Amino acid sequence: MAGWDELDEALADYTTSCNSNERLRKMQRDWTRTLHFICSDTDDTFTMVVEAGEITGTPSGHQGVPDIVVTTDSETFCDMFWGDLNPVAKYLRGDIAVRGSQEDVMRLDAISYVIWPDA
Amino acid sequence: MTQPGTGEIHLRRSVGTATATATSAGLAFAAIDYLGVVSIMAYAPGASGWLAIGIGACLVFLVAGVFSELNGLYPTAAGIRLYLGRALGNRTALTVTFTYMTTVVLVIAADAFLIGAALRHVLHEPAGLAYLWIAVLLAVATAANLRGVVLAGWVQTVVTYVVLASTAVVSIIAIFHVGGSFRTPLHLFGAKPLSGIQAIAFALFLFAAFEWVTTTAEEARGPKVVTRALFLAPLLIWATSTLFLLGLSHLVPFAALHHSPYPQLLLGQAALGTVGELWMLAITVLTALNTFNGGFLVASRFIYAAAREGNLPPALARLNLNAVPWVAVCALATASAVLAAVIFATGQWLLLVAVGATLEAGIYALASASLLILRRKEQRDRPFRLRGGRGLAIAGTIIFSVFGLATGLADPADSSRFSPAPLLVIVVLAAISALYVNVGVPRVQAATAARRAAAARPSRRPPRPPVAAAESDPTVEPMEP
Repeated sequence: MAGWDELDEALADYTTSCNSNERLRKMQRDWTRTLHFICSDTDDTFTMVVEAGEITGTPSGHQGVPDIVVTTDSETFCDMFWGDLNPVAKYLRGDIAVRGSQEDVMRLDAISYVIWPDA
Repeated sequence: MTQPGTGEIHLRRSVGTATATATSAGLAFAAIDYLGVVSIMAYAPGASGWLAIGIGACLVFLVAGVFSELNGLYPTAAGIRLYLGRALGNRTALTVTFTYMTTVVLVIAADAFLIGAALRHVLHEPAGLAYLWIAVLLAVATAANLRGVVLAGWVQTVVTYVVLASTAVVSIIAIFHVGGSFRTPLHLFGAKPLSGIQAIAFALFLFAAFEWVTTTAEEARGPKVVTRALFLAPLLIWATSTLFLLGLSHLVPFAALHHSPYPQLLLGQAALGTVGELWMLAITVLTALNTFNGGFLVASRFIYAAAREGNLPPALARLNLNAVPWVAVCALATASAVLAAVIFATGQWLLLVAVGATLEAGIYALASASLLILRRKEQRDRPFRLRGGRGLAIAGTIIFSVFGLATGLADPADSSRFSPAPLLVIVVLAAISALYVNVGVPRVQAATAARRAAAARPSRRPPRPPVAAAESDPTVEPMEP
C-alpha cells in the first residue's frame, strides 16, 4: 500500500518524463483531457490535467469533470508512474479498471509506451 | 477494486443509449448484409425468408442476454478476452480472439469488394476497374486511419440511421410496387427441413458483430446502456432486413439476385428506376464509413494491445505521430486488399457470407458456454442477470453449434448441395491461430524477456524507507521506539 507522498513523488517524476519527451509532446499535441484516479485500497484520489499533451497539474482530490477515470491499487499506480510495469498487461487482466473512450485509454497507455518502451 | 460500470461516475463525454444502439447496428449492418439476405433466400423458398429472419432475431435476443450478463461482469473493451480467458483459459481465449479478429479483415475486404463492384456497375465501367475502386477505397480508409481520423459519435449515429431508414424506405416502396407477388410466405420448412435450418443460420449472420458494442462499456453513461443497445439494435436490423427481403422477393426474380454482388442496386432499380439505383449506391458507400471506421479501429487497437501485452511481435505496437498503431493499420489494410483481390479473382463472395455466419455462430456458442462456466466461478452481483441463464446457456451452446455446422457445410453457390469449404476455411484459420498461440507466442515472449534482460533496466521506483515499508506491510512487526 503506497501513501500519498509516494504517489506524489511518482507523479512528479512521471510529469517530468512526459513533458520533457519531445516525441510524446508532438504525438499528444491534440490531446487535452482531465483524468481522475482512484486508489481502490487507500481511497486516495487525484487528478491529472493534460493540455495539448502537456501535464499541467496533478493535484490530490478530484477536480473538474473527467474524460477518463482510472481505478487500481496504490502500488500499481506507483509502479505505473515510475514506468516499472506494463499498464496494458494489468488492464487486460482486469487489474486496472478504466472508464473513458477506447481512444483515450490507448493514448494513456501510449504515454507509458513512448517513455518506457521496455516496461 | 471498484468495478467500472457499477459506480456512479460521470464522464465529460459518454455514450448514451441512442449512440450505443447506432454503434451496435452500424457494426452489424454492412454491405455484405445485403448478400446475407440473398443467402437466406437461397434456402428459404419464395418470401418465407422473413420467418427465418424472425426466428434468427429471437435467437439473437438470447445472445444479447448472454453478452449483457458477461459485459456486466467484465465491463471493459477487453471483455471478450477476459471472459473467454476466465472461462476457457488464456490460450484458448487468445486462439479464439485471433480467429474472431479475422472476421474484421473478412468484412473490410468484403465491403471493399462489394462497393467497388457496385460503383463499377453503376458507372458502366469494365469489370477490371472494380479492383481499382477497391484499392482506392482501402487506400482512403488507411490514410484516414493513419492520420488519426475517427468518426465522431454523432456522425456514426446519423450514418447508421440513414442507412437503415433508406434501406427500409426503398424496400417498402418495392413491397407496394405493382407487378410483383409474394410466393409461399410460410413455406420455410416446406421444401426441406434442413434448408429451413440453414436459412435461420444465415439469418444470424445479419446480426454479426452487433455484440462488439460491448467494447464501448467503459464509455457508456451507465451499466444499462450497453444492455439496452444489445437488445434494441437487433430489432432495427430485424425490421430493416425483413423489409429488404420482402421487397426483393416481391419485385426481383431470384435468378437475377443469386449471382449478383449488388442485390440492393437491383432492388433500387426495380422500385424507383435510376433514382433508386443511385440512392442505394449512395447508401452502400455510406455503409463503408461505419465498416472501415469501426473495423480498422477495433482490429488495430486489439493488435496494439496484444503486441503491448507480448502476444504479438512488438513492431505491431509501433505508433506514429498521430498516436496510431501504424504497422497494425498497414497490416490490416494489406490483408484486406489481398483478400479482396482473391474475392475479385474467384468471385467467391457468397463463401465469405458462409464463413462469417459459421464464425459468428461459433462465437455465440462459445459465449454461451463461457456464461455457463462463469455462473459457477463468479458469484458476485452483476447489473444484468439472464433469467433461466443456466438452461438458456446450455441451449445456446447446443443451438449455435448446430447452426455453425449448418452454415459451415453449406454450399453458398448451390443451396441444394453441401460443401465443407466454409468450415474448412475456419478450421485452417483456427489451426493457424492455435499454432501461433502455442508456438509463436512463447517465442515472442522469450524474445521480449531476453531483450529486457539484456537492457538490464533496474526498477526506477526508489526503495521505500524501512519505516514506511513496515507501516505498509501488515506482516512486518513495527519497530520498537
